[in-house]
Amino acid sequence: MSEKKPKQKRLQTAETLGKLMVDYYTEAALIKSQKKPVAWLTSVAPVEICYAMDVFPVYPENYATACATKKLSAEFCAEAETRGFSADICSYALNNFGSLFLDKGPFMGKGLPEPDILIATQHACLSMAKWWEELSRYFNIPLYVVDASVPIGGDISSYHVKYFADQLEELSQFVEEHTKNKFDMDKFKQVLEYSDEASKLFLEVADLRKTVPSPVSPVEMFTNMFPLVTLAGKKESVDFYKEFLSEVKQLADKKVPAVPNEKYRLIWDMFPVWHNLGLFKYMEEKGGVVVGDVYATAFGGSIDVSRPFEGLAERYVGNPLLSYGVNEQINLYKQIIKDFSIDGIVFHSNRSCRMASMGQYDIKQGIFEDLGIPGAIFESDFVDPRSYSDEYVKDILDAFFEILESKK
Amino acid sequence: MMISEFQQQYANRHEIANQWKKEGKKIFGCFCGYVPEELIDAAGIIPVRILGSLDKIVMADKHLQSFICAFGRSCLDLGLRGVYDYLDGIVTSKTCDIMRNMPGIWSRNIDTPFSAYISAPTKRTESARECLLQEFKIFKTNMEKFIGKKIDDDAINKSIQAYNTKRKLLSELSAVRLQDNSPVSGSDFYDIVRAGFVIPTDKYIEMLTSLKDNLASSKPSKNGDIRLLVSGSTFEDVNIMTMIEQAGGKVVCDDLCVGSRYYSDLVEPVKDPLRALADRYQMRVTCPCKHPSEERVQKVAAQVKEHNIKGVILIVQKFCDGHLFEVPYMRNLMEENDVPFLYLETEDRLGEEGQFKTRVQAFIEMLQ
Repeated sequence: MSEKKPKQKRLQTAETLGKLMVDYYTEAALIKSQKKPVAWLTSVAPVEICYAMDVFPVYPENYATACATKKLSAEFCAEAETRGFSADICSYALNNFGSLFLDKGPFMGKGLPEPDILIATQHACLSMAKWWEELSRYFNIPLYVVDASVPIGGDISSYHVKYFADQLEELSQFVEEHTKNKFDMDKFKQVLEYSDEASKLFLEVADLRKTVPSPVSPVEMFTNMFPLVTLAGKKESVDFYKEFLSEVKQLADKKVPAVPNEKYRLIWDMFPVWHNLGLFKYMEEKGGVVVGDVYATAFGGSIDVSRPFEGLAERYVGNPLLSYGVNEQINLYKQIIKDFSIDGIVFHSNRSCRMASMGQYDIKQGIFEDLGIPGAIFESDFVDPRSYSDEYVKDILDAFFEILESKK
Repeated sequence: MMISEFQQQYANRHEIANQWKKEGKKIFGCFCGYVPEELIDAAGIIPVRILGSLDKIVMADKHLQSFICAFGRSCLDLGLRGVYDYLDGIVTSKTCDIMRNMPGIWSRNIDTPFSAYISAPTKRTESARECLLQEFKIFKTNMEKFIGKKIDDDAINKSIQAYNTKRKLLSELSAVRLQDNSPVSGSDFYDIVRAGFVIPTDKYIEMLTSLKDNLASSKPSKNGDIRLLVSGSTFEDVNIMTMIEQAGGKVVCDDLCVGSRYYSDLVEPVKDPLRALADRYQMRVTCPCKHPSEERVQKVAAQVKEHNIKGVILIVQKFCDGHLFEVPYMRNLMEENDVPFLYLETEDRLGEEGQFKTRVQAFIEMLQ
């Protein structure tokens, strides 16, 4: 997700990714002069509608990860706090507010292009809708919240899908009304096909991590999420994942490891520490390679394009990250542990995300009780380095690797 | 009927509930004001609100991080300690991320026979209401399976009426709070509302009616005379309210979960009682977890004008995202309206009273 490239470009795809990001952010920088409408979206918001309607989508969350890797996030978060926002709210949001107030950012020194409309979801977490409401007041522009009713641990029913699908249709009208761009069903279907294909390809790559040793590293996986999230529905995204898949497949066939000396195969629970992706390297030096996660793969999921609105709704509402309680999450991890030959789990308890962090202790304990697979939990923040202590995190990881060592 | 009897009922709520249990009654714990208590009541089950306490949190720390609100941690802690063992079920309605994740953690660690999660939509729209109606239907069916009999419309209508009466009586009492020399103080009122969360409705209605009759001959409460509105998230410590009043404030109006958010809006009768319930629970936006939420803050500003309020105190549970995101907005809106505004953040049990007291006293002095 970040702009930071691996020091040595192990994968050809890294070049392509770099180019896609430069193209995207160059377009973003010029977009206002092109008079193209701009929408700011939360993650898991239906970006496909934007691409189908020629609206340029901007992701402040993705942008926060870029600010973090460029070491700007501490300054931005602090600025938001001096303007009256609590230090306890999500640092993605603080980073965004701070960057707005300072009109500063990692790309050509500027912040994001100003939005004309705002699109948010509330089902990934409460903070997204609250953050977007604040943006709506700040810019004084219209906001559409795509809301979902998602049972926890239960089955999705047709009325859950209908509620979401109806709003997707309403959202297309909202975009028409506020941008004057027309909704075109054929174009929408084309976008959905691209989005569906990109996500299938991405999941295929993720699946190749079942190969021992893993042909792809966690930093490569996380950074290569950018097209999946930001360019979902564009042909470039499909082309990118074709290239990514074929490259990783070749490495898997030849059993070329992404990380030398892969000794322990790990699951990473939820968000990377964006301001310190070096943590993955720290673990890799000890032989620990992250091969499983639910964060990256949760952005995938297939779409039934023959029923465009319902199909897209099913994909969003069915996102397992959002409808699983602790027991379902434990079962999901148990399956991943089996399929990916996992030795241990690292839980990033992210102060910014109560949604993702709540339940981690129970999941860790449940998996240890059932399978004897150990876990380590450390507390940090995904974007704000001020909540991060390197010694503390490394102490926890060191102790964890001692346990892994003793089990081998 | 004295206010102390309400306080006593609340203080002894677990003993009382254990007594019901011995009598063979079924009890469900509700996690927030968006759970349709009327439906539970109609099933012949006593709904009580799950609330925290001021006790030190001991067992919940093994399950929840320190950056989860004290309310959530305290509720789970009481559950883990067995205090809520009398519950036959827990019911959650979707509001914040804590409420969303709580049932899974609760059910994994605490043996409560029934659990329901109502995935309440966030928006106030027709289609959201339709969705909630379906959720209520499923909730009703699951309760019917649990009790082994049907819940008929007459029973639901009867419960709706009782709850409407309860909410209406609270509104009337709240109006008494607004009078000069009111015999009901803001902290009294807080205690009264909260007691209503754990007393069966028929008994509570009797208590409220009797209290109302006695009030005519009651003396004014001894609180201050600076008219204040208190807004905020749920908090356990009524001492905050008492302290505000001892410092010379008079809380005549509120925007609290344990307050106006509970009793505002009655259920308007329509043919299908479930639809009537869905109407009430979906079409009102009294919690910052619902969208759009500006209306709630605007309503606070309107009440300030209407009731001659001199200042607004916002009390927010630390880590309560819904409220925290809105603090600058509320502060700015109050400033634009020339309404003095004080923001207090609480963790319920950090002995912050001393610090609060200084700030509250300074605020009230400024208003005098």
